[in-house]
Amino acid sequence: MSPTFASPPTWPWGVYVTPEPAETGITISEADFQKFREFFYRKTGIQFDSSKRYFVDKRLAERIEATGSGSFRGYFMLLRFQVNGEELQALTNLMTVNETYFFREEYQFQCLVDSLLPEIVARKIDRRPIRIWVMPSSSGEEPYSIAIYLLERWAGIHRWDVEIIASDIDTRILAQARQGLYSHRSVQYLPADYLQRYFKRRAEGYQICDDLRQSVEFTRVNLSERADTRSYRDFDVIFCRNLLIYFDDVSRKTATETFYDALKPGGFICLGHSESMSRSSSLYKVRKFPSAIVYQRPLEVS
Amino acid sequence: MKRVLIVDDAATVRLYHREILEAAHFAVEEAMNGIEGLEKALQSPFDLYLVDINMPKLDGYGFLRELRGQDLPQAPAIMISTEAESNDEQRAYVAGANLYLVKPVKPDRLLTQVRLLLGDTHP
Amino acid sequence: MGLIKTQPTVESVTEEVRKHPRDCAGLLAQLIDPNPTVRRWAARDLADCPDISAALVERLHQEADISVREVILTTLTGLGDATSVAGLVECLRSEDAARRNEAIEAMRQLPDAVAPIIRGLLADPDPDVRIFAVNILESLCHPEVERWLIEVIDRDPHVNVCGAAVDLLGEVGSGAARESLLRLKARFANEPYIRFAADLALGRLRDA
Repeated sequence: MSPTFASPPTWPWGVYVTPEPAETGITISEADFQKFREFFYRKTGIQFDSSKRYFVDKRLAERIEATGSGSFRGYFMLLRFQVNGEELQALTNLMTVNETYFFREEYQFQCLVDSLLPEIVARKIDRRPIRIWVMPSSSGEEPYSIAIYLLERWAGIHRWDVEIIASDIDTRILAQARQGLYSHRSVQYLPADYLQRYFKRRAEGYQICDDLRQSVEFTRVNLSERADTRSYRDFDVIFCRNLLIYFDDVSRKTATETFYDALKPGGFICLGHSESMSRSSSLYKVRKFPSAIVYQRPLEVS
Repeated sequence: MKRVLIVDDAATVRLYHREILEAAHFAVEEAMNGIEGLEKALQSPFDLYLVDINMPKLDGYGFLRELRGQDLPQAPAIMISTEAESNDEQRAYVAGANLYLVKPVKPDRLLTQVRLLLGDTHP
Repeated sequence: MGLIKTQPTVESVTEEVRKHPRDCAGLLAQLIDPNPTVRRWAARDLADCPDISAALVERLHQEADISVREVILTTLTGLGDATSVAGLVECLRSEDAARRNEAIEAMRQLPDAVAPIIRGLLADPDPDVRIFAVNILESLCHPEVERWLIEVIDRDPHVNVCGAAVDLLGEVGSGAARESLLRLKARFANEPYIRFAADLALGRLRDA
């Protein structure tokens, strides 16, 4: 049994609009809700308080309908006992917003330039490039955001070489990322002068300028394939945001062990806003910086 | 309002302790293992920690060792164990616990100990 | 200085000539290499070798570096045979809480291999081992989980073993657990936690 990593159903992270469920007549009691929220919290780390009851009920009803489970209890047993975990993945997808745009979760990029890179540089004893791995690359917004952030907000870029490698399992999305063509919606949170500096106006939207497109390396990687990940080593920082939350327990554990060997000792890993290493691995140190919590491969192995 | 963090992987145990403490007007948050507990403590330190020993990913000893090594205002911690006969008690104190209780903990005993540790002598 | 691209990272690895050819005997030798990175990769790659569980289990018990242990556990979870599971059972008796919890987590992923031995663990003379066995059931995908939990609360004399089982029955329990939960409440009438947990579970029974 080797872990498999199915792509989340809405990957690439397009804007996902939840269809309104039809009136189903499915009822979810208070006890059902409590039971579900404890289970979901244990599995994903996502906590819903009672104010989210309507949101949760609607989505549960939708999945109960779609799976033909008939009732909450039938559906809950499917979630709890399904060996391949597919339904939990589908539900997690429905309960979370998967969209990507420039400068999403910007506080982490701020943490990168304010805290992580200064620490990395202070520790560095060679002049080799600083290496950053972005997984998943998705359609490229995240690696390009990091590139722009480094050029605009990190003075160290004039003294150090930085390599950004962005990987994804999906070759079509990688082609899209290399092309670097984005909608207005995708770039709406970028400061106007950045947009002007790093993009070209196209009929279909905005395209990343050639210099930036050339500066990010896009590669195809399946995280579950040892042959694919073996060569990924010596990274100083890994961004793996909003991916592990869709993996089952074993796949998530395997992926974080893979990242451990991809990082240099002392290297950092940034997860998505609603994700925590507490569901994946005990190998990393929890580090609190002013703008984010980040995980670190320990410097010395005990 | 004093803030307490319950670190335990059993949902029912968390809820049991939560109800006891909330009835006595403590503000309670939960974490289901040591790593999550550490994340929550780093985000906003608590006045007291109620910590189970056996948990996945990072157990109670590991949690306390890490917590005690952080640059945080140090607060009392109660270690709660199911193991009455082994030498867990000694290990709990070494890891940084202020008190060791054996499960299941009776409500009034928990409250008395929590108040004592917080230096709160109100009934 | 600035953003740069170096060509395929693959190169950096092929240069790194391995001390052993990628054969199973070589990987086994690497499992005791002084460098933990080499040990981790050996533990990963041994997944492709036949009859490897016993060697991995032996290494698991000796390995002091948690990062290597975790990879060994992942590989053993993938193998999931009787030898692997027997090795994990031994870890349940460890004095080291971290090793016990690692084993519990791994065993949760192995319903088919754990099912034949779980009743034995649930009847172990050591109450701690019985609690850990209940903990394994927390995420075990097996249709008998509810029945095993009911047997525990019907028979186990230890309050904390029953306490752990009730917690899970609140999640997977059906009407079949009702009578047993009521009896348990009566049996531990002086334990507020059991009363609390049993009431909570009764309120959540699937076909309540």
